[in-house]
Formats: sequence, structure tokens, C-alpha cells
Amino acid sequence: MTSASPVWLYVVVAGALVTYAWRLAGVLLVSRIDPQGAGLTWVRAVATALVAALVARMLFTPSGLLAHTALPARLGAIAIGAITWRLAGRRIEPGIAAAVVTFLILQQIFP
Amino acid sequence: MSRPGPGKVVERSVVPYDWAWLKRGMASAFTLPGLVMTFSFMGFGALLHSEGVSLVAGIAQDAVIWALPGQVVLVDAIARGVPLFLAALAVTLTAVRLLPMVVLVLARARMPGNPRWPEYLAAHFIAATVWVMSEMHFGKIPRPGRLPWLIGLGSMLVTGMMIATSAGYALTGMMPLPLAATLVFFTPAFFLLALVDGARLDQDRIAIVLGAVIGPVVHAFWPSVDLLVAGLVGGTLAFLAGRHLRHPREPENGA
Repeated sequence: MTSASPVWLYVVVAGALVTYAWRLAGVLLVSRIDPQGAGLTWVRAVATALVAALVARMLFTPSGLLAHTALPARLGAIAIGAITWRLAGRRIEPGIAAAVVTFLILQQIFP
Repeated sequence: MSRPGPGKVVERSVVPYDWAWLKRGMASAFTLPGLVMTFSFMGFGALLHSEGVSLVAGIAQDAVIWALPGQVVLVDAIARGVPLFLAALAVTLTAVRLLPMVVLVLARARMPGNPRWPEYLAAHFIAATVWVMSEMHFGKIPRPGRLPWLIGLGSMLVTGMMIATSAGYALTGMMPLPLAATLVFFTPAFFLLALVDGARLDQDRIAIVLGAVIGPVVHAFWPSVDLLVAGLVGGTLAFLAGRHLRHPREPENGA
């Protein structure tokens, strides 16, 4: 590890401060926004699209451990999970369980 | 409820927060989303170990940053010795997404007229999982209980994830790759199903599809801002499409 500044400085300045700044902006903004208005509906759409993009990134171009797994295993498992969620009366728990078990199996088929 | 000051006219009674919900929030940490999160943070512990960053620095990040994508970027920056300024820039780009989530959660939880410090505290705990969890639970929580519930949930999750990080750090190398990768896979599976499950409006469904399509395309050209671009462009298009789909019919009020 060869960083110019001490690690705690990274954690506090490059981590905590620059992260909380956006949360603080959210707190300051929410008191000025109409809770029934179109602005909040738009914010909801942006947050939804953003998390969907995060999921897509983890499935199509993952980093870390998932990068060592095969694309068909990731996509196949998610598809089985979604189908199970639907068949199980739109309950999340069986869907996730099916996705994870399928992923474990598909990793053996697509190493 | 509010006590009138001596000789003062009572303006309007402000409903205070119901702190009995703090405990219930703590209990809500022990549900499926908490379990999924545990696996993600075990993965973070494993990352610390493999990048040669100390466990103490990782646990401190859980407490003071509390946003996994930013923490992963920061660990990478520390390990590679990236200058402080550039590390801060990379982390803050991943944190912009927290702003809309804080606005959405607090808009349904805050009680105007009360002191604002609980909002500043609750905001620290809000990230993708807590946003999704609040969408799942708020319908069953009376409004004065929502902010206390968030603070209870958040403080319990942070504590639990510090333990999960330590466990992941300690277990690194003892687990076969397929099993370790499966732990990480819980996260996209959970977020996708939670998003689809929570989609109530046309706008939500369109936003999911557009975000999932635009994200990877932008990632190929400009990876540092892929989430922001996908969120802003996909979300705005979904918002406009949702209005267009709703308008031809009778104009109805309500969310």
C-alpha cells in the first residue's frame, strides 16, 4: 500500500465527507419540494432507472468475484428468479432463493 | 399535545415523532434485505483482504460512508495509491445517486414543524437497500413512526454490516469461488426483484427497462458516469412517458 496521505484521511475526506454532502443536499431539498408534486414523481423515476442500471452493470459487466462467472449463468439465474417470483404470487423470497440456487447450478455448467 | 407557553396563543399542534418505532426499525434489520446486505458486506470484507487494506479502515468506512459502491471505489483507490483529490472525485460520483433516494424517503417520513436533526441523522443511513425497504414498509407504519423506524433500522444495519465485513475478511480464501460469487449474486437478484415488485406506475416499469438498457451502453463509453446518465436520461424519459400514458384518461389525483 503506497498512498501519499494516511488512510484515515482517505476514509474521512475522500469517503465520508463527499458522500454525506449528497445526503445533506437531499435533506435541504426535501423541505423545499412539494410532496404531492410532479418533481417528486420525476425523482422517483430517476432513482428507479439508476438502480436498474446498477443491476444491469452487475449482470453484464461485473467487477470483483462476479467477473469470474459466466454471463449465461448470471442471466439464466436472474430469469429463473423473475419467473419464480411471478409464479409464486409476486413474492420476493422464493424468487431470490430460486435465482441463487440456479446460479450455483449454472456455474457448474458454464465454468 | 404541544404545551402552550405562558400567555402564548397555541398556533397549531405539531405531531411529534413516535420513538416507539425505533425498536421496530431495529427488528426490521433482521429480514431478507438484511440478509442480502450481509452477503454483500462479507464480499466487501473479502475485497479488503485481497487488496491489502486494513480491516479497521474497512469497518470505519461502513460506519462513516455507508454506501457500498463508494466504499469499493475507495478501497481500490487506497490500494493503488490514487491521490486523495482523485479518490474523492471518484467516490463522490458514485454518491450522487443518494440525493434522490434521500429526497424520496424523507418526503414520506418527515414531520414538518419538528426539529430537523432526526432528518440529518436518518439521511446518513439512506442508500439503495434502505430506500427499497422503506418502500416495502412505510405503508404499514404511521407517519410519526417512520423516521424513528429508519434510524433504528439504519443503526442496526450499520452495526450488523461491520460484523459482516469482519466475517468476510476472516473467511477470505476459505470459501470456494462459486460459493463466494453466489453470495455476491444475492445483491443484483434482490435489487431487481425488489424494483419489479415495487413498480406501481407505468413510469416505474419503463424506468426499469430504460435504466437497464441505457446503463450498459453508457458504461461501454464512459464508465464513471454510467449510473448518473442512465438515471437522468432513463428516468426523465420514463417520467414523460408515464405522464403521456396517464393524461389521455381522466385526470386523477394522488400518487
